[in-house]
Amino acid sequence: MPSAASRKYPGIRAPLLLLLLLLAAVPSGAADTVSVDVATVYASNEGTSIDPALGTIRGKLHSMFNYTSYRMLDRKRRTISVGEAGEFELPGRRTMRATPLPAQGDKVRLSIQISDGPRKLLTTTLGLRRGGMVLVGGPSHQAGVLILIISAE
Amino acid sequence: MDCGAALGVIEAKADGLLPREEAAELAGHLAGCPACAAEDAAISAAGSALRALTGIRAMEKGPALDAMWTRVRAGIEEGREARRRPSWIARWAWIPAAGALAVLALLFYPPGTDRSPFHPSTFDVAVEDVESEVATVALVDKGEDLPRVIWIIEDA
Repeated sequence: MPSAASRKYPGIRAPLLLLLLLLAAVPSGAADTVSVDVATVYASNEGTSIDPALGTIRGKLHSMFNYTSYRMLDRKRRTISVGEAGEFELPGRRTMRATPLPAQGDKVRLSIQISDGPRKLLTTTLGLRRGGMVLVGGPSHQAGVLILIISAE
Repeated sequence: MDCGAALGVIEAKADGLLPREEAAELAGHLAGCPACAAEDAAISAAGSALRALTGIRAMEKGPALDAMWTRVRAGIEEGREARRRPSWIARWAWIPAAGALAVLALLFYPPGTDRSPFHPSTFDVAVEDVESEVATVALVDKGEDLPRVIWIIEDA
């Protein structure tokens, strides 16, 4: 049976329902999550093209490494709760596992593990500000290497 | 029709409410009954006088009645208009709805979808520890305006 208010203001019923849905949908621990963004770039000396999808980071890649071609193969973002691991598939049999650790203020701490099948290529713990970025490179791929652009918010 | 019945319907006749058959029956009785005819004449005269009086009163009260009706009609229109006009709550109700939709869209935006190019706010990164079971790892730092690089040199 509709309430007196909803009878008086029929237009308010839908927005109220939406707001209730929204409140139900928002995860209660939203502040305890980290959004991890991983872009996989293939760097090589095959050609001289630089993927425009790399945006402002193109010039930095060019000035930091001696490769002539940079192509973004994939880009994924996962919102991961602190203490939980998020997995990112990389070319080949490789995978990257990112686990946010407890941190203070606008800091983000990430435990990163890159594996090549059963082999652990890298295990590291990074501390960065939200919106910060770090590069992990070196694993061979085709005629070049892979460079991972990892950022966290 | 006898006199009792006739007297009972004379008023209805004067008011024009008597069915045609009864009116014919009454007319037949009045034609043969002077007493009832006199009563009929008196009531009809009174009815005419009353209607005339009512007409006069109505003419006298006409402007006042017109003014009252104008006020009543204005009140009715005002009420209709108020019902038609949405309240400020109903008028602005779409704003929270749009906001809720926008937040829902952001919440359920599919992960992994291509987004805008990279705009890092900082390259300030602390590497707390780094190790590898099968490779040599180098930490490369080329300045504050360039991102730090962890370089994996896979052993042959």
